[in-house]
Amino acid sequence: MSTGDVSRRDFLKLSAIWAGSAWIVGFTTASSSNHREPYRTLTDEEAAIIDALADQIIPPDEYPGGKDAGVTHFVDQQLGGYLKGFASEYKTCLPALNNDAESRFGKPFIHLDEREQYSYLSELESGQFDNTSWGPYRPSSFFNIVRHHCMMGFYGSPVHGGNKEYISYQMLGLSVVQEPKRPGAP
Amino acid sequence: MANTKVDAIIVGSGAGGGVVAKELAVAGLSVVLFERGGWARYSEHRDDELTAQRSFPLHCYFGPDNERYRRVAVDHDGNERIVLPNDWAYHNNAACVGSGTVCYGGMAWRFMEEDFKMKTVYGSVEGSTLDDWPISYHDLEPYYEKAEWEIGVAGNDSLNPFAPPRKRPHPMPAFEHNKEGRILENAAREIGYHPFSIPMLRNSIPYGDRPECIHVRNCVGFVCPVGAKNGTHNTVIPTAIRSGNCELRTDCQVTEILINDRGRVTGVSYFDQNDQKKEQHARIVILAASATETPRLMLNSASRFFPDGIGNRNDWVGRNLQGHAYCGADGLFDKDIYDDVGPGASVAVSDFAHNNPGVIGGAVLCNEFIRLPYAFTGAHPPNTPSWGKEHKKNQRTYFHRTASLRGPVQEMPNFESRVEVSQNVRDHWGVPVAKISGFKLDEDIRTAHFIADKAEKWMEAAGAVKIWRNIPDTGVSGSQHQSGTCRMGNDPKTSVTDKYGRVHDIDNLFIADGSLHVTNGAFNPVLTIMALGYWVSDYIIKEWEHGNRFGG
Repeated sequence: MSTGDVSRRDFLKLSAIWAGSAWIVGFTTASSSNHREPYRTLTDEEAAIIDALADQIIPPDEYPGGKDAGVTHFVDQQLGGYLKGFASEYKTCLPALNNDAESRFGKPFIHLDEREQYSYLSELESGQFDNTSWGPYRPSSFFNIVRHHCMMGFYGSPVHGGNKEYISYQMLGLSVVQEPKRPGAP
Repeated sequence: MANTKVDAIIVGSGAGGGVVAKELAVAGLSVVLFERGGWARYSEHRDDELTAQRSFPLHCYFGPDNERYRRVAVDHDGNERIVLPNDWAYHNNAACVGSGTVCYGGMAWRFMEEDFKMKTVYGSVEGSTLDDWPISYHDLEPYYEKAEWEIGVAGNDSLNPFAPPRKRPHPMPAFEHNKEGRILENAAREIGYHPFSIPMLRNSIPYGDRPECIHVRNCVGFVCPVGAKNGTHNTVIPTAIRSGNCELRTDCQVTEILINDRGRVTGVSYFDQNDQKKEQHARIVILAASATETPRLMLNSASRFFPDGIGNRNDWVGRNLQGHAYCGADGLFDKDIYDDVGPGASVAVSDFAHNNPGVIGGAVLCNEFIRLPYAFTGAHPPNTPSWGKEHKKNQRTYFHRTASLRGPVQEMPNFESRVEVSQNVRDHWGVPVAKISGFKLDEDIRTAHFIADKAEKWMEAAGAVKIWRNIPDTGVSGSQHQSGTCRMGNDPKTSVTDKYGRVHDIDNLFIADGSLHVTNGAFNPVLTIMALGYWVSDYIIKEWEHGNRFGG
């Protein structure tokens, strides 16, 4: 009778297939590709703002940042799916976040340099902009939601649109495929 | 349209319901086992942390779904809020065949003798309905044994001086510790604790035609890729079906318990997978839908005989909701302690479950299951950045250097922590949803501090260079350890069922889930729920064999 589990042999077979596709991946593929999927729920302007946010929240270093890991695609896909309840908050807050940087730095958020972007977001996070509201939304709460979603997009399963080629797992030194192990074995 | 009448209906196929289905079907009763979800499959869910039963920010793969289900959560000030299943305030339990037993960590604790007689041991507690169970550990001992052998537990009590007495050893040898577990085990010994390997509903050797555990990282919250984790879905439920006497009806939402003009239960009404309303009649109905859905179903089943819900003459249905007041300590090490051998949790001490001077109850203390990459983003030490360059750097360093100790503090039950049905919010089928309100008592928080101290000391001995405590908030508990809402007892005025799980005043309605718990022990409750499944079944079968047809 089927209980929904694959047998150990099938699992190993699946693993081998997965290992084949998931591990032959260089870090450069993510950023060098010019081809990208069109967005479903975001405009290009909104996507550019999320790209910048994702790279501030998870900046590129010796490993790709949020943008190259596909965080924006995760957000795009989920705002039309499981996170659709947040769609109007994004639509209202993204342009507001971008434009309100002008009052502080003289330029919209996406045109600030990295350090300015970081300062601006730190101020947003700490509630320094909460005396204004973006529609019914509070700037610090919106930042917190975006932070949360970026983490999901970067560290969650690629099946939801982010974590391209399990980039974060590679960064953490975690195999994508889990080979059978034994406690105490080297 | 009604189906053919059967001997027994079981509502819910989790830890309790799965066991009852098997016991009754094998004893020759015809059984319909209702499950609101379907089968959970590894091939569908794989490694998806964002929908796993451990952290489900997108949705709950194991159900219930966000489209058809909702509840009302009430905060301290009485404000009501509609919550979806993947909100923690929903107090979700998996809605699939086997329920939480498919995706749990599988800790297989027997409660200790004291856990069954808390009032005798500790006396009355202000604000609490603390009481003894109407049965003792010794009453339940043979049924714990049966659960361990039929479902499959790996363990060894010889290193745990606080283990309650047992007649037969565990059927499988205990698991070895991974790297972190070995460090913590040695440290515990150094400071005089008594560490041992956590008994687990998981195969340490091939058992029951299923292979041994392969120690994946994604264990708790996931379907086991090889079927080495033992739940009711891959043990007793298949046995029940093979007997030829049990029909498993998946994707069916039971909405009401039917009662006749003599005050006897005649069956249930339910919506099938096509949302068609149907009835199923039976001689006996056994509710095993969880400590939130069982009372909801009872409260939604009002009649001339029970105007406030079936079995609810004395307003005890839904009361005393409890889970565990989880607490502990986390530690950051200056070296790698991570070897990626899952599931992670393996070492425990029972030193502080009871006999703590000046403290009521206590908790077993265990190391934590591996925290997966997304969950770990929120598990860094306090006062470190929650985003940016440093967070990312910490994520990759700390992932290999962090350990956690956690203890399920036994809560003092209180009458105001409860499940009601909402007056104005309904689910997809138009049925009033569960409304959950309540709080923890100060006593629980005090015990949590006591246990966190012990965890901190353990973490220190293990060599952690930075240690931070984890103390629960004062909100109502429940979640996957939910229990207590239809407690068993000898006095119908202060309980919902008798000591066999039979609802007072109705001789053919039984309960077999965590709702029955008078108190929830200092341990994860699942093996106790399974044992109660055997205990309740044993009573029904004995009656059946004596010719009792429960009036039907």
